[in-house]
Amino acid sequence: MSATVKIGKCIIQTDLHYLVEDHSWVRFNDDGTLTVGITDVAENMAGPILHVYPRKKGMRQKGQSLATIESGKWVGPLKAPVSGEILESNPVLDKDPGIVNRSPYGDGWIVRMKPAKLDEERKFLLTGDEAVEAYRKRIEAQSLKACAEVATEGG
Amino acid sequence: MREDAEGKKVLVIQTHGIDTPRRTYSPLFYAMAAASMDMEVLVWFTMDGTSQLKKGAAEKVKLDPKSDVTLKTMLERTKEEGVKLYVCQQSMTLFDMTESDLLDGVEIMGAATIIDLTLGADVVMYF
Repeated sequence: MSATVKIGKCIIQTDLHYLVEDHSWVRFNDDGTLTVGITDVAENMAGPILHVYPRKKGMRQKGQSLATIESGKWVGPLKAPVSGEILESNPVLDKDPGIVNRSPYGDGWIVRMKPAKLDEERKFLLTGDEAVEAYRKRIEAQSLKACAEVATEGG
Repeated sequence: MREDAEGKKVLVIQTHGIDTPRRTYSPLFYAMAAASMDMEVLVWFTMDGTSQLKKGAAEKVKLDPKSDVTLKTMLERTKEEGVKLYVCQQSMTLFDMTESDLLDGVEIMGAATIIDLTLGADVVMYF
């Protein structure tokens, strides 16, 4: 089992790598590919997710959109945490977008990528305690109520 | 979804203001959706829409009284997604507004600019 840390009610899984400013996570797979998704913080902020529209296969630069994610109160991109080629998107998302809420680090992954510039871009990703602390600071700095034990943001 | 959407220019024209809250959120939501698809998105506030941009006004507008999300929140989120916000200079006079009355991050443009932006956009959404 992967170690997890809770910040309020939001979970950070410490074996993953994060681009905290974009609320994205990356898993380094044994075959050299990356699995990418949104964090538990992001899904809590968004609320029940209604649609996920991944981009089609192809090259994306760091910061470009990998998918558009919609909830009742938010719409926004999953930005590419690193540059690379989209190899596939999660086939479950079309029929069951709520899987992102239920399992943001597991079955609710968004795309799998082949990285293109990992040597130079890996430094932007945080993992372990460093990621937890960075997220904790962001949550505090922005007063993100979505992670409060009793959620107060309802709109 | 269309894969040729990326890089397209979307111009959203908002003519509704703080006195009609239900007509204020959706245009911003669509602007954010387009930005999330890597489109270049501009929102042009004119006529009553200008009232949204007066300092102190948008934070008083809510669709859902139980929510923390105000119109100001929506405007801030829109800017965070890279959407450019423009206001019609001539419309500012309707609300006795000067540049110092405007929210940060909003650019003032004249009437000729909106014509230019319209001609240069791939799609115009008018509200």
